Amino acid sequence: MQALPPPPPAIEAPPIEAAAVAAPAPDRSEATTGELRVAAALTDAQVHVDSGFTGASIVLYGAVFNPTPDPVDVVVVVRGPDAPVRLVKKTRNMGVWLNSRPVLFEGAPGFYMTASTRPLSDIADFGQLRRLGVGVDHLRIDAPEEVGTVTRYGVRDVVVSRLGDDYLDWRRAVIRLKEAAALYDTDPDGVEFVDRGLFRAEVKLPTVAPTGKYYAEVWLFQDGEPRSVSNLTLTVEKVGIERDIYEFAHRRPWLYGLLCVVLAALTGYGASRIFSRRD
Amino acid sequence: MDIYLPIAEVSVNWPTLVILGAVVGFVSGLFGIGGGFLMAPILVFMGIPPTVAVASQASHVVASSTSGVIRYAGQGAVDFKMGGVMAAGGAAGAIAGVELFRYLRLLGQADLVVALSYLVFLGAIGLLMLHESLTEILRRRRGLPPPRKDRRRPLWLYGLPLRMKFPKSGLYISALPPFGLGVFAGVLSAIMGVGGGFILVPAMLYVLRMRAGAVVGTSLFQIIITTAITTILQAGRNQTVDILLSTILLLGGVVGAQIGARFAGRFRAEELRAALGLIVLLVGIQMGLELFVRPSDIFLLAPGVSD
Repeated sequence: MQALPPPPPAIEAPPIEAAAVAAPAPDRSEATTGELRVAAALTDAQVHVDSGFTGASIVLYGAVFNPTPDPVDVVVVVRGPDAPVRLVKKTRNMGVWLNSRPVLFEGAPGFYMTASTRPLSDIADFGQLRRLGVGVDHLRIDAPEEVGTVTRYGVRDVVVSRLGDDYLDWRRAVIRLKEAAALYDTDPDGVEFVDRGLFRAEVKLPTVAPTGKYYAEVWLFQDGEPRSVSNLTLTVEKVGIERDIYEFAHRRPWLYGLLCVVLAALTGYGASRIFSRRD
Repeated sequence: MDIYLPIAEVSVNWPTLVILGAVVGFVSGLFGIGGGFLMAPILVFMGIPPTVAVASQASHVVASSTSGVIRYAGQGAVDFKMGGVMAAGGAAGAIAGVELFRYLRLLGQADLVVALSYLVFLGAIGLLMLHESLTEILRRRRGLPPPRKDRRRPLWLYGLPLRMKFPKSGLYISALPPFGLGVFAGVLSAIMGVGGGFILVPAMLYVLRMRAGAVVGTSLFQIIITTAITTILQAGRNQTVDILLSTILLLGGVVGAQIGARFAGRFRAEELRAALGLIVLLVGIQMGLELFVRPSDIFLLAPGVSD
């Protein structure tokens, strides 16, 4: 058996931290206007998936510097690595439920959650949320392969989706199914102020959360306008034996399969030896 | 007590898996079958992705069949020549089946085909077994003599080329029908994750008319080869074999299989067949139901994005 190739290098530090070495104090948040600012951090920037992994809960906490008398809203958005989604629709043909052709949706994150102080629609208007891509309704999920251009009413190159009028149903289904798997979540009161200017939010990762790099954005809204944002990263990675098995299965799949079979045959052989001796 | 499975990427309760392995192993030892048809649906029910369930439990079938073959070989009840011919067919079938499964996954029709195969094959075999064994039981209750056995074999078995002698099975027939049976079992093994024993045993008994004593051992021998190839192919082509899952299932499985084999001697053959027929039929109906019941959500995530 050949030695396994070395595991990929450890997660590189986010570039912001590299810059922070030179600067006297880490400053990951940027002010958009004036002194109104938000700063945030995670209790755990790395989540390890090992044999005991049953999901994780990370607390994001932060502070709001608000010299103005007007109230502010905090929106936390956590986005996992992109995972294209293939969706089929069941249709009834002669009493039997059959699957349609699968449709590939791109741009869907493998994990997406928002937590806020109020419902998103109360915090900012549709256009603003759409522009920032905040909220599951504003994710840029689409099915590019289904898009074609046709000539309609004499107008050339009209972009249409082959999914037709159902398009929104399909898109909503992607979100609904991900929500059912606890991979998407919208919590309109997930951001809780524990003290004046000090808030916390909980990020719940289910067991099926994809591994990879997660990005968290903490937005500060005032009067429906984004005033400040703080960016954080979070890494979910397999560690220990789970990682070794996963790497082995994907790098040397044939050898791995052979090993599985040999192991199974040996177990069967061993069991029959043990039991026959008892007779 | 939960354990995270690295390939399935879900967390499951491992004592439940050991017990499941033991129960399926018991059934498998009791009836002399692989038990795969029972395992896959339960694993899926526990939340393990169907593709991983089908691929991983194939190695459970390898283990329980290995211990079965060793036992039967000790009694001289394995026709290795016949098994070898069938296994050659099984290898061809498995290769074709894994490719077919891959293609079906891309089309998004894999679960449909799996459900349909379960419904058709398990339903038909279950009904046949139930019918045959119940008639037998009824006849014995009424004290009627057993019917004269039809010893004739279908003529086409002799008309085909490539005739071979299979002394242990008491046959001198063309190698093509056993080879064809092997191909069929191989395809099923890849698609349903089963060994195919529930199809092979009746086919060997009633179509090939092999000597009854050699049937179960020989079918188990061919199942080892076919499922071993399926496991390697599933791991190599689809990366869907979870070694942790299969090892946990194995631990319970081998013990259960040995205990089941002890119990097998305490029941009459037709009673065992009636019970097995009922189980097979129920599993087939359960799996097939999803074709006819309105799904809770008409949209479904289809696996197989990355390949």
